Amino acid sequence: MEIRIRGLSRYYYSEGKQIKALDNVDLTIPANKIFTLLGPSGCGKTTLLRCIVGLEVPDSGEIYIGDELVWSSEKKIFVPPENRGLGMVFQTYAIWPHMNVFDNVAYPLQTSKTSQAEIREKVAKALHFVQLDGYENRPATKLSGGQQQRVALARALVAEPKVILFDEPLSNLDAKLREETRKELRSFLSELQITAVYVTHDRIEALALSDLIAVMRAGKIVELGDPKKIYFNSDDRFVADFIGRANLIKGKIAKHQGEHAVFTSEIGSLVALNSQNIAVGEEAMLCVRPEFIRLAPEQVAEGHNLFSGKMESLIFIGEAYEGEIRVGETLLTTTIDPTADIVEGDTITISFDPDHCFLLSV
Amino acid sequence: MFKKPTLTTTLIVIVGFLTLCPVVMLLLGSFSQDFVSFGQFTVSKYVEAYTDPDFAAILWNTFVFTGGSALLATLLALFLAYVNTRTDLPFKFIFKIISIIPMMIPHILFSVSWVLLLNPSNGILNKLFIDLFGLQSAWFNIYSLPGMILVEGLLDLPIAYLIIAPAMSAFDVSLEESSKVCGASNLRTLFKVTLPVLRPAILASAILVIVRSLASFAVPSVIGMPGRIYVLSTHIYRNVSSGFAADFGKAAAIGMSALAASITLIYVYRYLTAESSKFVTISSRGFKPTLIKLKNARYPLFVVVGFLSFILILLPVLVLFYTSMLPYSMVPSAKAFSMMSWDNWVGVLRDPISLLSLKNSLFLGVVGATLGTVLSIFVSYVIVKVRSTASGLLESLSFLSFSFPGIVIGVGFMWFFVRTPLYGTITALLIGYIATYLPYGIRPISSAFVQIHSHLEESSRVCGASPFYTMRRIVIPLLIPGIVSGWILMASMFLRELTLSVVLSRPGTEVLAVQILHFAEDGLWGELSALGIIMIGISSSLVIAAALIGNKLTRMEVVNN
Repeated sequence: MEIRIRGLSRYYYSEGKQIKALDNVDLTIPANKIFTLLGPSGCGKTTLLRCIVGLEVPDSGEIYIGDELVWSSEKKIFVPPENRGLGMVFQTYAIWPHMNVFDNVAYPLQTSKTSQAEIREKVAKALHFVQLDGYENRPATKLSGGQQQRVALARALVAEPKVILFDEPLSNLDAKLREETRKELRSFLSELQITAVYVTHDRIEALALSDLIAVMRAGKIVELGDPKKIYFNSDDRFVADFIGRANLIKGKIAKHQGEHAVFTSEIGSLVALNSQNIAVGEEAMLCVRPEFIRLAPEQVAEGHNLFSGKMESLIFIGEAYEGEIRVGETLLTTTIDPTADIVEGDTITISFDPDHCFLLSV
Repeated sequence: MFKKPTLTTTLIVIVGFLTLCPVVMLLLGSFSQDFVSFGQFTVSKYVEAYTDPDFAAILWNTFVFTGGSALLATLLALFLAYVNTRTDLPFKFIFKIISIIPMMIPHILFSVSWVLLLNPSNGILNKLFIDLFGLQSAWFNIYSLPGMILVEGLLDLPIAYLIIAPAMSAFDVSLEESSKVCGASNLRTLFKVTLPVLRPAILASAILVIVRSLASFAVPSVIGMPGRIYVLSTHIYRNVSSGFAADFGKAAAIGMSALAASITLIYVYRYLTAESSKFVTISSRGFKPTLIKLKNARYPLFVVVGFLSFILILLPVLVLFYTSMLPYSMVPSAKAFSMMSWDNWVGVLRDPISLLSLKNSLFLGVVGATLGTVLSIFVSYVIVKVRSTASGLLESLSFLSFSFPGIVIGVGFMWFFVRTPLYGTITALLIGYIATYLPYGIRPISSAFVQIHSHLEESSRVCGASPFYTMRRIVIPLLIPGIVSGWILMASMFLRELTLSVVLSRPGTEVLAVQILHFAEDGLWGELSALGIIMIGISSSLVIAAALIGNKLTRMEVVNN
């Protein structure tokens, strides 16, 4: 089910100052996709999620879930959370400690008039889905973090909601469990064909899980796109920097060349993607990710985007070297194949693939 | 759910009245000649109170009594805490029991049982020693300052233990180990490292015991007064109880200094506990200290600990029960056992005033605890869930009464009630009780509120539950253990209340503890013991129920971490 948000604003007042947690947000979350709201803490992503669920009341705007208008400041409509028919997994899981697993999962069904037999059947199905068969009578307090998380998921799914929402559900798990659970969640959600809205500040989680990512900053959505678009060819400097490590180099557009442009920078002239179609003569910023700065074979002397630099530092981190290369005055970070035969102080030649470095307007 | 600002304001007014009214009235009263001329300023009561030639002696007694009790209780607590956390002593469950008994045996009965054992004319132990060793006079006279210190120290031991034991178990043993690696001996390590690191906890425990013994009335009245040893609390009592010559103005003037001392000490205590949480290094590695192997000392040491718990728990009950069966005090012997009967029990159950006091105490326990719990629920809700400047004020107001000595508050309330139709009614006692013991209700209930993370309610709403359904299935079930233990705590405090009641209770509103005090003053030990056993029975069943529910509560808290 599609979610449409129009002109949504939410203000807080703190020490006499107004803080815009949501600043006139327009957003359409497409049906049956995994949609992630990504951003640093305090960017308004959780507030947006809570407005969709109905746990928080916005100051202005409209929210449609499917065709139903659930909030409108103008028409004075507010559908309380219990009537929105959604499922949600909380950051703390919010497993009720005084109930066993069965009662926790059965709760959404018990609030509506569902027969006992049907409740049992649906709970069993939901628990089977999250691989917790046979845990029905376990007290909720006797579960591990990962199991609690799955109970929370089963509870969110059991009533077959139109939309399921996740508020940083993995942030309370340790690193290893987080990775496993992320994979599980991805397969659960793709199997279900359900609209999922996922809030996180973890870029890897966002890239790994999502069909679509909306990056938020200071109450606004700054960019919307699929993970690859956001990572490889972002339109926004903040997003490019936030979604992964990036080398940013200042310069000017010299000339257009199809999809690409020739860019004059402090390290020299190079060719890069110009998806934003920045005009000739404009100031711009080149973004190149460390893994796309490649070591060129020494004999290659001429060609596109070739630069000569000095290896300033080289740190072995297991799966790769983390290196810093000085080209002129500019220091570039790279990751280098751990078997490469170089040492600090070497003079080396590097190349950037024109399709994997992109220009951002300043 | 509630209109929050109005609720907070209402509660501040109610709690503010309950805690501040007696203090304000005490202050005003201390500057008045008598009840009739209330409001006409005079300092004559202060002059009278503090130029009394006996006053210096009373202050000295108070100083020795509180200081001695603090020293005894803290030393014993240090010993027990060390033995419990650091040695392989057998049967450690005993320590758990030691920490909850003060709740089971009302202080006045504990004091009485020691009088029955060690009074100079016919104390059971004294007589036993005279018979055994052919002594000329009593071996130990309980009616003395050392006697008072002994009993008060034992009574306050559990409180001292509850402060010192956690500090001791949170102690990072690597501090000691590094001292030993540096070449220091065990003894040197103890004095140069262990004790200095524990200093804030030790001082905090000593200060809390001083505050409690300053407010103590049971020991000074049952043990001190027969020996003509007066401390501040009994000096105040003497001024308000002597029938037609009661002088509430002078009592208030004396009370002001007890109140000031108590508040100052509580501030020092707060400062020290804040300090000690900085000081004690809780090692996050979670490794347990290696237990010192006691080897041959294991059982002798256990005998010492076992003896301590015996005189704390069993002895008072045994002595009281034994006395309740006898017509007069005598050493256990074949003759004594042959004379045993239920006469005292029958007598007490036929005595109209004892029955009235039982009825009044039960009424105060049940109705008072219920009202107090309702108030505590609202106060806890505002303290935990509303979180504003006003709720912070409410929190400090509601915990203020912890530092007020009961008898002083009683005098303050008297100045208030005498100006209202409530004077001499059971309602006056009810209001006084709730005002004094509100923190006992707020503590467990607010910790139950803390347990309910807002996500638990919110997730219920998202699951399709209305606010009312959420209340019924989530909020109330999670609160109930806290509410029940708050209720039971208050009920058991009300059932045994003495210090406030000795001032506020009037003919017709006698309560159990006051009736027991009257029996003690008249030397009716048999009746006293029978009534006392009934009182212990009621209050310990309440406490056991509270402990069981408390266990359930802590088990549920695990999930939130």
